[in-house]
Amino acid sequence: MFVLARLLPGDPVSAMLGDRATDATVDRLTAQLGLDQSIPVQLLQFLGGAVQGRFGDSIAYHIPVTQLIADRLPATLTLTGLSMVIALVLAVPLAFVAALQADRWPDLIIRGVFQVGLSTPIFYVGLLLLTVFAAWLGLFPVGGYGDTVLEHLWHLFLPALTLAFSFAAVLMRSLRGAILSVLNAEFVDFARAKGIRQRLILFRHVLRNALIATVSLIGLNVGSLLGGAVITESVFAVPGVGRLMVDSIFARDYPVIQALTLALAVLVSLAFLLTDIVQMALDPRVGR
Amino acid sequence: MTKTSGLTRRATMALGASFAAVPALGLPGSAHAAAIAPVRGGKMIYGRYADSLFLDPVLTDANVDIWVMNNLYDTLLSPTDDGLGLQPGLATKWALSDAGKTITLTLRPDVKFANGTPMQASDVKWSLDRCRNPKNGPWPDLVASIDSVEIASPTSVVLKLKHADPSLLAALATFNTGIMPQALFEAAPGDTDEAKSKVYSLKPIGTGPFLLADWKLGVSMRLVRNPHYWKKGTDGKPLPYLDELEFQIIPDDNTRLLKLKAGELHGTEFVPFSRVKELKADTNLRMELWPSTKVNFLTFNVRPKLTDGSANPLSDVKVRQALNYAVNKDAVIAIVTQGLGIPMTSFMSKTTPLHVGKSDLYKADVAKAKKLLAESSFAKGFEVSCMTVAGNADSTNILTTVQQMWSAIGVKLKIEQLDNPTLTKRYRAGDFSMRVSGWTNDISDPNEITSYFAYFPNIASLHSGWQDKKVDGLFDASQQEVDPVKRASEYKQIQEIYADAAPILFLYETPYPVAFRKNAMGFVQIPLGNNLFEGAFLTK
Repeated sequence: MFVLARLLPGDPVSAMLGDRATDATVDRLTAQLGLDQSIPVQLLQFLGGAVQGRFGDSIAYHIPVTQLIADRLPATLTLTGLSMVIALVLAVPLAFVAALQADRWPDLIIRGVFQVGLSTPIFYVGLLLLTVFAAWLGLFPVGGYGDTVLEHLWHLFLPALTLAFSFAAVLMRSLRGAILSVLNAEFVDFARAKGIRQRLILFRHVLRNALIATVSLIGLNVGSLLGGAVITESVFAVPGVGRLMVDSIFARDYPVIQALTLALAVLVSLAFLLTDIVQMALDPRVGR
Repeated sequence: MTKTSGLTRRATMALGASFAAVPALGLPGSAHAAAIAPVRGGKMIYGRYADSLFLDPVLTDANVDIWVMNNLYDTLLSPTDDGLGLQPGLATKWALSDAGKTITLTLRPDVKFANGTPMQASDVKWSLDRCRNPKNGPWPDLVASIDSVEIASPTSVVLKLKHADPSLLAALATFNTGIMPQALFEAAPGDTDEAKSKVYSLKPIGTGPFLLADWKLGVSMRLVRNPHYWKKGTDGKPLPYLDELEFQIIPDDNTRLLKLKAGELHGTEFVPFSRVKELKADTNLRMELWPSTKVNFLTFNVRPKLTDGSANPLSDVKVRQALNYAVNKDAVIAIVTQGLGIPMTSFMSKTTPLHVGKSDLYKADVAKAKKLLAESSFAKGFEVSCMTVAGNADSTNILTTVQQMWSAIGVKLKIEQLDNPTLTKRYRAGDFSMRVSGWTNDISDPNEITSYFAYFPNIASLHSGWQDKKVDGLFDASQQEVDPVKRASEYKQIQEIYADAAPILFLYETPYPVAFRKNAMGFVQIPLGNNLFEGAFLTK
């Protein structure tokens, strides 16, 4: 990442000073930022700092990178967390309906709607939701983040819903498939034969088994949710790390790109770890 | 130039008067503000497309800072609302002597910084010394003629110049000469000026109408009324009228306008031209189009050879003229700006002092274009590429329109979409044929734009490689010319030579499009771009 960022054509000084800087200004700033050093030297400096938790100052914002990221991370985490909850709330019941009514009209409608949700660009869904629910109906604020925790949730509901749409579609399809295959499994036939009530079968046996595949899907999708947050955060003016990442790449703000990549990598790894733990709890075979 | 004499006249006229009450006729916000008595109190929320980055007038380099900093800091003089003249700021009077080499500034009495400490002559000296230090930031050149700053008395400061400098008064009205409190700045932690600045500029204190109370980077900025502000409103009491001013950062154009329509914002900047008509028709809103110094053009690379070693058609002046004649500016304006722009008549905008231009500069004439091309060394036509920032709708519209127009004379345009740092890097290295460009002035003087566009020694005339020794000489002379008439004539010649040589494709000037709710009034955006909220107020 460190080298990749530097291999991008252009540099932070060009990005910052824009068109009108004279060569002298460019040289002075380049030296000030330590960008006149060779890439290996810069890498060593970065690694040396990173080990001690020092990531330097943002070139564009002139404040410590760690502070910048710490300020922005909660919004993104809340956004992705909320959208995951919404996606689950949408996907799980509908997947059941779709699976139990497989290939009949409720199934076709549910799958059709989610297919549309999956194929519509995120920014368009976002604008649509903003226009209808915020601007016309006035139920939600038009973008922004608010000041208190409750305000954050209120502000983040529409962006989370936007983000949840395509995720819920993926989730629903996988869960529906899993439920269908579990429904045909021998242990379900056995449970039925024992005379256990349908509802109990669905919750205790079918859902638990079908969820195993879904949980790993959730884990794998944390990365793409964070990616989707980039667009949603821009449309809804949410001050998260997604927007920060894009801005920093355009500004060639190397310290931010580096630290943020590291932070996101850690986050995604944590999500994988959590996925494994949940899976172990759901499926005792995994732990062995 | 008319400035030296004009200034003193304005200064004596304006002494002790309240400037916010003098509406410049014909400006978009003035009519309604003059008609309705201002209301005091309240909080105005203004949507911005991007946040500020660094609120230190000396070290910043971005318009997102420059255009709002006047709400926090004052300069000794300040530009008039029409951008063509100067008026008193923290200095109430100024006098030139010693053939223009000495400037005596009389400081406004009883000015206080927003934290209540009095502004002193030493703060003025320190601020000017800091901003002219060549090691500090990108702007010391604007005040390079200052040799020393001396405190003559507690209320007067004397500037000794290395040579007469007709643009220095305008420089004293430019953001980078904003007056800062020396003691407070120096008390900030850090060993170097830059380190101190990083801390200080997060909570800057100036003498301006507002005080930064709260700043969430990238989210919002809350400014509160500076209770010590010196300027008076139309009601005779100190400005500003507003108790609070909040900037909210909403990068997406659509979202920003939705927020305005939903009443969550009182106003917003950078309304896309394609939406202006719609907002004008909205009875809850008021569209304001402020005259600006913005010029939109294509920069040509005029070097004999391109970096790949091939011959460069744009090195031939006839080719460049042909390209200019082949473009119908009115059509481009209609397509890209929905008719809101006006054709460029010189490389500088009409709002720039000493602008001289032909109203029919390169009026579309395909026959003439063909004839010029036939006379050039590239009579058979050629293929040429133009760089633009990917994803910029206006630039793409300009290029596709121009592409069609040029194809009529046998010139094939290839559009190269790049991201900004890549484009800037190639531009700086002279590794390009053309690029889409825009420019706004930072100073109420033609010298800044001329030093970049036409004067080779600065940045090779916008990195075009174009050089005209006569222009360079005229510019050098104009930088020390004390006779306003002579300076005007020098600028006339520069602009005429430049127009003939056509190192750019002259396109159009555009206004600053801002929109407000009907009850939000009194905002002013001057041609340099500065957002003035000191006279803003909310009715109801």
